[in-house]
Amino acid sequence: MSLLARNTVDRLDRPSAYYVSKNKRRRFNDRDEDEPQQEEKPDEKLKNATTLYVGNLSFYTTEEQIHELFAKCGEIKRLVMGLDRFNKTPCGFCFVEYYTHQDALDCLKYIGGTKLDERIIRTDLDPGFEEGRQFGRGKSGGQVRDEYREEYDPGRGGYGRAYDEQRQREEDEYGAGR
Amino acid sequence: MAENDRRNQGYRGGRKRRYRDDDDFDRRPQRRRYEEPLFAQVRRQLLTIAESAARRAEDDVQGIAKTVADNYEDEEIRGDFVNIALDLVLEQPMKIPFIAGTVLVAHSLKPELGSEVLSKAAEALQKYIDIGAWREVKLLIRFLGILQPVYEGDGIFPLLEELFARAVDLQTASSEDLLGLELVKIIQFTIPYVMLSPATGFEAQASALLEKTDIIASTPHALVDLVNTFSPEENQEAAGQSVISLMQTQLQREANQGWELKCLPRPWKDVRDAETDEPKSFESVTKVPFPTVTVPNPVLNGARPLFPEVYLSVYANQEVDTVPSTTDISSSLIRDALVDTINLLDFNRVATAKFLIDIDCYFTTTTFVKRATPFDRMRELAGEVQPWKPEDVAVDAVFSQLFQLPASEHKLVYYHSVLTECCKIAPAAIAPSLGRAIRFLYNSLETMDLELSNRFLDWFAHHLSNFGFTWKWSEWVDDLDLPAIDPRMAFIQGALDKEIRLSFAQRIKGTLPDPYPKLITAAKEKDTPEFKYSSEMAPYSKQGQELMQLIRKKASDEEIQSVITAIEDQAKSQGVEDPKIPSTDAFVTSLCFVGSKSLSHVLSCIERSKDRLLAIGTESQRARCQIITSVMEYWVDQPGIAINIIDKLLNYTILTPLSVLEWALSESVAAGTILSKPHIFEMISATVGKVTNRMRQIVAARAQPGLYEPQLSVIDETLVRERTDMQSLFKYIEDSIVSIAAGSNDQQMERGDGSGTLPEDAIIRQWGRRWLRVFRRKAAVEESFISDALANATPLGTQAPPVSGREGATDGDLDIADADAP
Repeated sequence: MSLLARNTVDRLDRPSAYYVSKNKRRRFNDRDEDEPQQEEKPDEKLKNATTLYVGNLSFYTTEEQIHELFAKCGEIKRLVMGLDRFNKTPCGFCFVEYYTHQDALDCLKYIGGTKLDERIIRTDLDPGFEEGRQFGRGKSGGQVRDEYREEYDPGRGGYGRAYDEQRQREEDEYGAGR
Repeated sequence: MAENDRRNQGYRGGRKRRYRDDDDFDRRPQRRRYEEPLFAQVRRQLLTIAESAARRAEDDVQGIAKTVADNYEDEEIRGDFVNIALDLVLEQPMKIPFIAGTVLVAHSLKPELGSEVLSKAAEALQKYIDIGAWREVKLLIRFLGILQPVYEGDGIFPLLEELFARAVDLQTASSEDLLGLELVKIIQFTIPYVMLSPATGFEAQASALLEKTDIIASTPHALVDLVNTFSPEENQEAAGQSVISLMQTQLQREANQGWELKCLPRPWKDVRDAETDEPKSFESVTKVPFPTVTVPNPVLNGARPLFPEVYLSVYANQEVDTVPSTTDISSSLIRDALVDTINLLDFNRVATAKFLIDIDCYFTTTTFVKRATPFDRMRELAGEVQPWKPEDVAVDAVFSQLFQLPASEHKLVYYHSVLTECCKIAPAAIAPSLGRAIRFLYNSLETMDLELSNRFLDWFAHHLSNFGFTWKWSEWVDDLDLPAIDPRMAFIQGALDKEIRLSFAQRIKGTLPDPYPKLITAAKEKDTPEFKYSSEMAPYSKQGQELMQLIRKKASDEEIQSVITAIEDQAKSQGVEDPKIPSTDAFVTSLCFVGSKSLSHVLSCIERSKDRLLAIGTESQRARCQIITSVMEYWVDQPGIAINIIDKLLNYTILTPLSVLEWALSESVAAGTILSKPHIFEMISATVGKVTNRMRQIVAARAQPGLYEPQLSVIDETLVRERTDMQSLFKYIEDSIVSIAAGSNDQQMERGDGSGTLPEDAIIRQWGRRWLRVFRRKAAVEESFISDALANATPLGTQAPPVSGREGATDGDLDIADADAP
């Protein structure tokens, strides 16, 4: 029956594995309860999504730069910078909201995985921004992924914060022991 | 090895399963399975047909055909084969000869299999003809054309004749017709494939058909000049021919040379008969009638708007040919297959780029030189038989789409991304090709269509931003002595500004060789531009600072008003004609300064002062212009931010589109020199784009079926009003620029001795002509869009049918509300 019911190569405008698996996990937990809840398909929430989560930004990338790149896929309705929960400084992600679903899909296809401020950025379709989501959820206020990162990333505050602390502590102890 | 590579690219069926996908229980296989089920194997082979330089495509063709024919009883295999074959035809056009070859061989082994493919193809073809999806029609007919030896009688020719008859009808009915030309194009791009097929004895029919298409294809359409990469007025020599007129000449030449078609593969050629081991003759296969396909009369056009296409090559006029010349039919055949591939696969730019890099897999082995052959080596190779440089041919096709007029099929950034991916896959091979393309475009800046030179600018900056902003700036050093309004100098400055917008000034400065860094002034490196009222010397400096403090601490409207009044009183006492101007300047400049931290800061400042700004805007035209002046002056060194703020002010309706035009084309026109600034063109295009987008939404609402009175009249009134507004906008542009193009603008006349012979005068007049051409084209395109869309709209006064069908009417209200969204 095909005649392009499926494409001959993968599409880049699908929700990411991260989004899908996150939802699956939730569904799995639901199932442990006695009453199996009416589960929502992940695709359903994204059917008309106009918002994108944008990740792997440098902490120094400005709204203007993001705007400059993302406006290539359509007029931007709203741009919400991701902030460190405590310092209220950019912590490397943002939400971009377009006026149309098509613009958001085009952005996944044409901009996700390309460079902004000389970093490969990632884009993911998002069901929509809600107050509170602009803040990092990591222990130290930034994004979780920046806590334990072992590689040095000058665009994202150097080493992961928790990792860095531990390193520092070890170094100090080593010094004290001598 | 090759197969493993491919599996990870995520072709259909090759996806890795993760155990979490299985909700109910863990179904991970306990050990790796080595046996691939046959249907999966066929599917994979078919999807990757001809993709590997390591295998012979002929073996792919025969192998698949044999497996499928041998397992004809297996429904899954058969179904997959038919479906995937046709999907590939519609999505990966470069593979059509290989798919058709497979079907040919399969048919010779098992005629039922051929018939099944044919009937499914015909069914799809009928559907696409009915809805007017002409690219799909072209591809399916091409596929069916290669299958010519399996048909009884004349095979595909009667269908082509019928399409031609429709084209004639359309052309006779209107000289502006474009659909007829599209049908002729389909016929032209089918004939070579029919002649390529193993069928023999159709030369006379092909020639007869070619004779017929000649009149239509050789008569230039009125719109060709308007969509040409180069306006013939500016550069007659570079102005390209239309695709169909070019193809017509090439086809005639090819017919005279016995249809050599040397670039197209014939993967069925060395198929041998299983019994006799003689070369297989496809003349003796079981013949079937060509499937019934009816062409409605009249035919209609589907969703894609049609325009004449012009052949563009960014590798024209090189000292050594690296791409086929326009006399060679290969130029059209390869380009057509590439262009369709690019436009069809916009949902996976990585796959598109891969196909482009692998271009040499899909044409005959003598077509291209080895990948990544350096240009200098091409010079040595230049001989009698000239193979082409695959990277150049591929890149050329992408540029042809990026530079399509009046509009590219997809958002321009798609084509940017394809070029980026190509560079990522094969940097050493692609980068030098891009370099030569950039040189051609740069050297064409003066005469290229202005919209396209701006697309070039935008692509250039975006592309460099993906590759560390490295470019051989040194080769343009000599041009730095040109006047600022020279197209090349404007390009260089514009490119640097755009690079900065994607990055930051210091970084860009660091990428530039001497003497370029001086182009990035100290002011450009400042994150927060100076607040002019900080200087005691500035008029109204005290009030300006006060105003800024008040805005910063979100003071009440009364407090702000008292300062505004103070400014206006002082202005009046000094005899200023319009005291609103200094007060507006102080207010807007303060807003910009307070909001300079980021876009959202300035937006929230504007949001808070919305009522005041709206009031200024409605009070006087000059005050409205002053809003723009203040924004543009505050951000003069970072024009990207300025035009972004203007854009938002338009959305708030604080500014009207006309006021932006007035500001640029009258207030600040500076004897026409403003026309050389890329960001001004960008701002005006965006402003006009807002108006035309809105117009199109209203037209769509008006043209939707099932709309009745009284909604019909309501929408129609809006439409008439907006249409008049749009027309007067275009008229304003025309009237302002026509005088610049003619050199009769007042300010121009006052320059020098007024003779218009200053060296810069000629340059300004050229800018004027190029601007005119762009906006005349936009006006024409919008008018034709509106009349096309309204041609079949419900006439005014139509009442809803008595009982049913009321639902449609309420929809109208909703849609017009939607049209108001920015």
